Amino acid sequence: MQHYWKSLEEREHGALAEGEFPENPLQTPAGRNRRGFLKAAGFSFASAVLAGCRRAPVGKAAPNLVQPEGILPGRAVYYASTCTACPAGCGLLVKTRDGRPIKLEGNPEHPVSRGGLCAVGQASILGLYDRLRLKQPLAGGKAVTWDEADRAILARLDSLRSLPGAVRFLTGTITSPTVAWAIGQFLKGFREAQHIQYDALSSSAILDAHQRTHGVRVLPRYRFEKAEVIVSFDADFLGAWISPVEFTAGYSAARNPELTTPPLAWHAQIESRMSLTGSKADRRIIAAPDEIDGLVARLAGEIESGRPEGELARRLLAARGRSLVLSASQDPATQALVNQINHRLGNYGATIDLDQPSYQRRGNDRDAENLLREADAGKIAALFVAGANPVYDLPGGEAVRKVPLVVSFAERLDETAAIAHYVCPDRHALESWGDAEPVSGVTGILQPVIQPLGGTRQLVETLAVWAGAPRPACEIVRERWREQHPDDFENFWEATLERGFAAREPKQPQARAFVSPQPPRQNTSQAGWSLVLYPTPGMLDGRHAYNPWLHELPDPITKVTWDNYASLAPGAAGKLGITDGDVIRVAGLELPAVIQPGQHERTVAVALGYGSRLSERFAQAGPEWIEALPTLGPNGRIGWNAAPLARFENGSLRYVRAGVEPVKTGRRWELARTQDHHSLGSPRRPIIQEISPEEFATARPAGDPREELWPPDHPFTGHRWAMTVDLNACTGCSACVIACQVENNTPVVGKDEVRRKREMHWMRIDRYYSGPPEAPEVAHQPMFCQQCEHAGCETVCPVLATVHSEEGLNQQVYNRCVGTRYCANNCAYKARRFNWFEYARQDRLANLVLNPDVTVRSRGVMEKCTFCVQRIQEAKMEARRLGRAVRDGEVQTACQQSCPAGAIVFGDLNDPKSRVAQLMRSGRRYRVLEEINSRPSVGYLKVVRRRGGQRHG
Amino acid sequence: MAEPCSVLTRPLIEGGKNLAQVTGDVCAPMERRPGALWWVAFLTAFGMLAAGVAAVTYQIATGIGVWGLNNTVGWAFDITNFVFWIGIGHAGTLISAILFLLRQRWRTSVNRAAEAMTLFAVICAGIFPVIHMGRPWLAYWIFPYPNFRGPLWINFRSPLAWDAFAISTYFIISATFWYVGLIPDLATVRDRARPGLRRKIFEFFSLGWDGSCRTWHRYEKVYLLLAGLATPLVVSVHTIVSWDFATSVIPGWHATIFPPYFVAGAIFSGMAMVLTLMIVARKAAHLEDYITVRHIETMAKLVIATSGMVALAYGTEFFTAQYSGNLYERFVFLNRAAGPFAWAYWIMVGCNVGVPQLLWFRRVRTHLAAVFVISLLVNVGMWFERFVIIVTSLHRDFLPANWTSYRPTSIEIATLVGSFGLFFTCFLVFCRVLPMIAMGEVKSVLSYGHKPKEEA
Repeated sequence: MQHYWKSLEEREHGALAEGEFPENPLQTPAGRNRRGFLKAAGFSFASAVLAGCRRAPVGKAAPNLVQPEGILPGRAVYYASTCTACPAGCGLLVKTRDGRPIKLEGNPEHPVSRGGLCAVGQASILGLYDRLRLKQPLAGGKAVTWDEADRAILARLDSLRSLPGAVRFLTGTITSPTVAWAIGQFLKGFREAQHIQYDALSSSAILDAHQRTHGVRVLPRYRFEKAEVIVSFDADFLGAWISPVEFTAGYSAARNPELTTPPLAWHAQIESRMSLTGSKADRRIIAAPDEIDGLVARLAGEIESGRPEGELARRLLAARGRSLVLSASQDPATQALVNQINHRLGNYGATIDLDQPSYQRRGNDRDAENLLREADAGKIAALFVAGANPVYDLPGGEAVRKVPLVVSFAERLDETAAIAHYVCPDRHALESWGDAEPVSGVTGILQPVIQPLGGTRQLVETLAVWAGAPRPACEIVRERWREQHPDDFENFWEATLERGFAAREPKQPQARAFVSPQPPRQNTSQAGWSLVLYPTPGMLDGRHAYNPWLHELPDPITKVTWDNYASLAPGAAGKLGITDGDVIRVAGLELPAVIQPGQHERTVAVALGYGSRLSERFAQAGPEWIEALPTLGPNGRIGWNAAPLARFENGSLRYVRAGVEPVKTGRRWELARTQDHHSLGSPRRPIIQEISPEEFATARPAGDPREELWPPDHPFTGHRWAMTVDLNACTGCSACVIACQVENNTPVVGKDEVRRKREMHWMRIDRYYSGPPEAPEVAHQPMFCQQCEHAGCETVCPVLATVHSEEGLNQQVYNRCVGTRYCANNCAYKARRFNWFEYARQDRLANLVLNPDVTVRSRGVMEKCTFCVQRIQEAKMEARRLGRAVRDGEVQTACQQSCPAGAIVFGDLNDPKSRVAQLMRSGRRYRVLEEINSRPSVGYLKVVRRRGGQRHG
Repeated sequence: MAEPCSVLTRPLIEGGKNLAQVTGDVCAPMERRPGALWWVAFLTAFGMLAAGVAAVTYQIATGIGVWGLNNTVGWAFDITNFVFWIGIGHAGTLISAILFLLRQRWRTSVNRAAEAMTLFAVICAGIFPVIHMGRPWLAYWIFPYPNFRGPLWINFRSPLAWDAFAISTYFIISATFWYVGLIPDLATVRDRARPGLRRKIFEFFSLGWDGSCRTWHRYEKVYLLLAGLATPLVVSVHTIVSWDFATSVIPGWHATIFPPYFVAGAIFSGMAMVLTLMIVARKAAHLEDYITVRHIETMAKLVIATSGMVALAYGTEFFTAQYSGNLYERFVFLNRAAGPFAWAYWIMVGCNVGVPQLLWFRRVRTHLAAVFVISLLVNVGMWFERFVIIVTSLHRDFLPANWTSYRPTSIEIATLVGSFGLFFTCFLVFCRVLPMIAMGEVKSVLSYGHKPKEEA
């Protein structure tokens, strides 16, 4: 019987002499089918270990005497895995180079995410190389060994085993069947112990409502791709609501003028603040937060009676079984009404799947509230917290302090871990074995792609040790899966590791027949102010507040970075005499104001996820010089934590709070915003172009620019790379921004530099408003180097540091650049970025995430989008090796790969059959600033605007 | 002396000087110890220079980010200062070369100082293109020279490369012209100096001048040729500098009017700077008889003429923008006059178009204090002209999402101050070590008539 190591310590002291590849944890029990298994698993561990990549500085480097099988230095190896940055469970392809993961990409075959990956998911790889991640267990804040921690905790637990109801296990939504099982097993050892799940971004009311109407407490799976009419009450499903990548993919599939069979889905959004989803709506109705539930009731009445009064009911009734009504309300009664509407419209079984429900939200707010009450009353003797941070993100979460034994499994010292008596740090997902079942029937796998970078231990391993049966996580996961697939397990397991997920037999539907809900109490509108707490697509509930990429990611709507703020409607701000950056006091919280067009007059909106302890680390973010301003706020953190302003009401966590009057304090706080001007000017500049569905139906294919007097400078005889961006599909979610940053080693510059408008993102998303500020139309425009054929930058560089390639790329030669910035001045798109300081950091660990194919730029040089030239070169080399031409779709730029909406298409314009060439001929195609004849290689597809505008509800 | 009946016969040099007096008066500041006034001026200028040196050192050590620039406004104080100083540098060559060819004999009193001013201004200007680079230590890359990197050539299509040639040519020709003009006077100083180091130095630089007829003959041929060579440079340098902007696509820069507009502006600002310096210098060095009110008045007339040209250019720009129908172009000019930098625009218009109109009045023209103040304001206005062209065009260009603002940092202000410090330090040293007035040439215009210059 072989011995498998479970921790670095154990590996070092024993088991070293065993086996051919002693460090290889992929060996299957009894060595059976070992070679086949290795092949299938993709040698993830082998690459990590044998290629010699370690976190510590390498004292002596020794070449491999035998080339590890399947590993070629300089060639990327991809492993399928599952994203754990939020419970949505998108499919991942982890790109590793020489044994270290450097980029997360969406798995195009994954049935949930379908190839996209959001900004948070993309950024989560930085967490792996986080210097401040815990490396060993802590007891009372001091580092201890795992043995000491285990012994101490078990000693404390032994006395609690017979005490009824003394042990609670608090987690966020657990999508992993293995983890849920392990927690259950562990809790079996205690009397009346309970596993409680809650979500800081809760959808508990939806689950509760389905309990009432359908008898099952689950979240249904929404199928946007099947919908023709979408009515959303405040649900920011394209931004930060439950599973934005999945929803965006479905939404854009239902609204693509080229591909969708008409009619295109029509979308109405009823909301109080300007959300990303609202910015895409065909009709946006602005209503006060306390009015929205009433509007649901009114719509329910109209649907029930079958006599539509408004446009919404009329359209919904005309699209029975092809419509979708959603609400983000945390009032179970309102959610029950939504269920009733969907039921009457016949949407269950069509656009709403309850037979194969979603597990992306399983939290129960009532349980969480009870837990805090018990903790406050001193009834809990031991609390285990995993994947959650109640002290930070629950109102009244401070009650956790009263529990005599708090054990946290946090990866970092967050608020809860800081007060915990023991911290048993879990591993980063990229170091872990695991699984995730985001929706019923689809179970993703997590496989480690690197040797753990610290002395951490996976949660399931820790629980196994405490349950008295220590086993490696790999084995635990395999065991669980084997139970599901006893036949031909090894082949199934190999196939699953390769694909990244398995379609499992969905559980038998348990939903009973629809039961009409009780009509809710009619909320009377108080006509006072309301505070709305909401998550942003970049920061979500704050679990990634350690991540500088996400802090520097501009909010897709306000374009503010490195802070949260209170947004106010322009009219309301005018009345109160508040301007952007004035510090206001709302419900005891003092934070800067941002004037947000399209927001309801009586609403103040504040983002969650900020003001976290994890953001204290950014004191030194950005260059230091005499006029540099601090990145951290007066509270020593980034932003202000608004979570304590939420409250429990009727068993659900409410994010709306009535009766909060914003008060001006007279102080100011300058926000770092990447965009100061928000309209297209008057007269309107033709930068964003729109087309109506009727015009599009008769539009002629777009032609090439006019003939020129002079022969072309560049004949483009081979490839000619080009890109199209579909402005109709683009939601502004900013996944591409982070994807580009990760791919191209773009530095983080810090708040002060962003404030000075020196952000380095090669890909930015310009957001423009048009129409009245109370109810504007919104357009998002990804903007980056347009790779002009007649590039302004190329002619003016005195040292030829920017030149045109024969494949149509505008190339920047960093070595040659002397930094005159003339090219940036002469760029009509201002797509160039200058290294004002030495932005690259000497952080050995964080720098492991750098893409070795892309140069890290030093100070004083210009940089910009390269069309991911390294990916083009890789595809060309691969094609040459195989003796064939590069095929369409083989080169995917980083932004294109990540885009959940499929808005970006890249390819060879010289191949008339390529997708990009076809889209370039679309009647929707135009080029930005075509009139200055810079001849950009990027074509934009016009927004299909169905005028309906907005109105106040 | 009797009042002359015509300007043509009115003497250019007052006080009925004889040749020895001219030599004595001009050499006096060099041969006596500096006074308190000079020391105060010098220490102030040197202090400013030191601040500038500290700022530039800090900037090069830390990164160009210590300036207030951003991704949209890639140039601001740096290139503003550059164009400003290049403009200042125009008056010298204009006075010494063009006016020489045009036989404007009044120029003899001011040409030496004006040329010196030109050189110092070009030095100040030349610093900025170097320090504005992100990697100034590689500045030599913009010159074509044989190298082993390919060889890697420069981009001859880039106006910045043209700048490098234009400015270096201008500096070399101006310096040569100035030096050649200095030779007879250097010999005079040599002859007056007691044996010692000072005499040796002047002996070396006067190239064995012996004052013979043959020497004079050759000298005048060379001087005339150099004047002919320098004349096109007066036009070309600022034309090329204006191409930095005119060849770009940015609205507000992309304008065919720029070359004449810039040249006129350069002469305008150069004349104003000459006036500023001369009004002070004639007083401080007791040269009132040489630099007379008549000189001041003549230069004031040139100022008002060039002010008119500049005003015409400002108006034409607006007309072109409106007439073009180009919405970006129209916006840029509206934004200049009414946008966030409108204050800068109106300072520019006020100082460059409004204030010089006072010079139509003879009483103002001949009132030294008034001319001094006007000349200062013109310099302020011309600095702002470049600032307006550069910053207001860049800060709001095509895509509104890119629009930003600009605010200089302390480092940039210190650098600007430092460039003035350098300029005045050089000028003050010049006043002490070299004859401020071209003795040889002044002697040729003394009112008693023309005599051979054997006394020089």
